[in-house]
Amino acid sequence: MVDPEQDRLLPIANVGRIMKQILPPTAKISKEGKQTMQECATEFISFVTGEASDKCHKENRKTINGDDICWALSALGFDNYAEVIVRYLHKYRESERDKANQMSKGNNNIGPPHPTTTNTTTRSDQDKVIGDSDHDIHARSTSTTTPTLMEFKIIEKGDHITLL
Amino acid sequence: MRQAGTYSGIRFGGGNGAHSLPLARIKKIMKRCGSGDEVKMISGDAPVVFAKACELFIKELTQKSWTLTLQGKRRILHKDDVASAVVATDVFDFLVGLVSDGDDYDHHAQNLVPKERETVLEE
Repeated sequence: MVDPEQDRLLPIANVGRIMKQILPPTAKISKEGKQTMQECATEFISFVTGEASDKCHKENRKTINGDDICWALSALGFDNYAEVIVRYLHKYRESERDKANQMSKGNNNIGPPHPTTTNTTTRSDQDKVIGDSDHDIHARSTSTTTPTLMEFKIIEKGDHITLL
Repeated sequence: MRQAGTYSGIRFGGGNGAHSLPLARIKKIMKRCGSGDEVKMISGDAPVVFAKACELFIKELTQKSWTLTLQGKRRILHKDDVASAVVATDVFDFLVGLVSDGDDYDHHAQNLVPKERETVLEE
């Protein structure tokens, strides 16, 4: 059922839905009208991406990020969009950071801290890893899973511990 | 490498719900962009930004098109309304070629030529 030609465009259902959001409830849109909008929106993405890509290339960067898109929007005359997007992007990055922080906090909730000094190195190392990744969490995908911390029990000589 | 949920639209904007446009499709379109220098890598936030930008774009173009529909005393937004709106707006110049290509095969004779509308277009 999926037309490969349609794959190169934004889905018409989504486009139609967005159009309806701005029109009065009694308004109707012809199928060709939706198709034209679908093509225009797709072309919009290509057009802005091209500009952003050129910028990255000139600056010897391989990855296009949200800031590049914002810049391209401004450069191409879509200043009003750029303003909205800058705020949107800021909120998005904040929410990403919050989510990442929540995830890392969840991993740290393992047992009470031991009085022995040998354990703390492990824990602080883990904390360092998490701390570092916070800084560029928006620059790369947050796919690195924090290894679960292990509890170490120092077995003193003479202790009899039954290993299961 | 991708975190689960990134492209399923259930992240960010928990209050707003999913994005209006599928991020995976946006990313595909971005990659196909033939700007000469191949688009190699796209950060996770770029498609998110575009989802929002496209929404703004579609809404603006729709609103402008609808104004022309009303001027023509109609209640159905046709593709030539979109075409006329494109022609009338400077920032949409990049679309002029795209919308004029489709006019040739329009079945409705009265909607064929956008030029007739030019007198009623408002800058």
